[in-house]
Amino acid sequence: MAEELKLNLNLKRIKKVLKADVIQGKGLLSTKISGVYASDLVSDVLAYSKSGSVLLTGLCTKQVAISAYLSLFKAIIFIRGKRPNKEILEFAEEKNMIILLTENDMFEACVKIANADSNSISKFVKLIESSEKKNTSVHKFHIDGQDFSNSGLLSTQIKSILQNIGYEPYLIKRVSISAYEGEMNVVMHAKEANLTLNANEKEIQIIINDRGKGIPDIEQAMQAGYSTATEDQRALGFGSGMGLPNIKKNSDELKITSEVGKGTKVEMKFYVIQE
Amino acid sequence: MKLQEIIDKVGLKKLTNVEVRNVQGVFISDMLSDVMTNAKSGNLWLTVQTHKNTVSAANLINLAAIVVTHGKEVPQETIDLANRFYVIILGSDLSTYELVSKLIGIGLKP
Repeated sequence: MAEELKLNLNLKRIKKVLKADVIQGKGLLSTKISGVYASDLVSDVLAYSKSGSVLLTGLCTKQVAISAYLSLFKAIIFIRGKRPNKEILEFAEEKNMIILLTENDMFEACVKIANADSNSISKFVKLIESSEKKNTSVHKFHIDGQDFSNSGLLSTQIKSILQNIGYEPYLIKRVSISAYEGEMNVVMHAKEANLTLNANEKEIQIIINDRGKGIPDIEQAMQAGYSTATEDQRALGFGSGMGLPNIKKNSDELKITSEVGKGTKVEMKFYVIQE
Repeated sequence: MKLQEIIDKVGLKKLTNVEVRNVQGVFISDMLSDVMTNAKSGNLWLTVQTHKNTVSAANLINLAAIVVTHGKEVPQETIDLANRFYVIILGSDLSTYELVSKLIGIGLKP
């Protein structure tokens, strides 16, 4: 059984979701880990795992600890309530490795760790639907206007979705910045909106459809420095009049349509350059 | 330059968890769109903004750390969010200008 995931997690969070006990390396729990490798075969650990990961295993022998050390694992989590003996603990202490114990079985532990990463964001974000259509990954979200408490987190979630698909970092950055500006415009100026993310191997598209006051003069709104933000919003660092120009700068296509008193639709596209 | 070296040399307060990171350059602004457009990945971001949105901005463009100047107090919710997303927030009692002169003094390039 082998499972590897790209994660953005530390062991504190893993300890929490697995309700695990730390029996070695309590002081090292804020260590960030690069992935998880789940296996009960020592030779697989040596052959396939990547450094900086955490090993999930039900095999409680010193050979596992040694191979984990050689494969540059940061931590071992013993599952199914297995308890390592003194020899393993001494080895781990000497090599500065972290050891956790959990009652979960392999499948439960894998699922809980995988969920922990996305849960950390998605609990703040309202997902309406998520699907795969014709090789396109589709996500639809709801944004509340005037809700500054969670603003910016939807863009963070979008970034993480794009990272999981595996786009190149510069493209992800351009999409993230544009999504952030779009999200902020809704939070500042509209009542509510739906944001749809369509991502496939050719392009990434974001459509934000809001219900709000609309834009009377789109050309004017596109001018750098033009803003209708309130004093309070400016005090938070918004309203520099760079939002729409920023989207224009970072996207490959931008289309804005608006009806005063009803709302605004912002459609942006980003081309995926094939290598 | 290593973030820890900067923290030690100019005496910054750690307001969140801190991990090993490299710093490449400094960006100063209190306007979020300005940061999103002009700051580069790996920059140290000097600001007086302490709102939660700074965390999203820093995360989205992979800044090395946020440094809140003028000794401004950072709300706990901002710190909690930053820890959740591995965004590092540091604090300084110096003004932005004084801090910049110190950063130049230790050899940090723009």
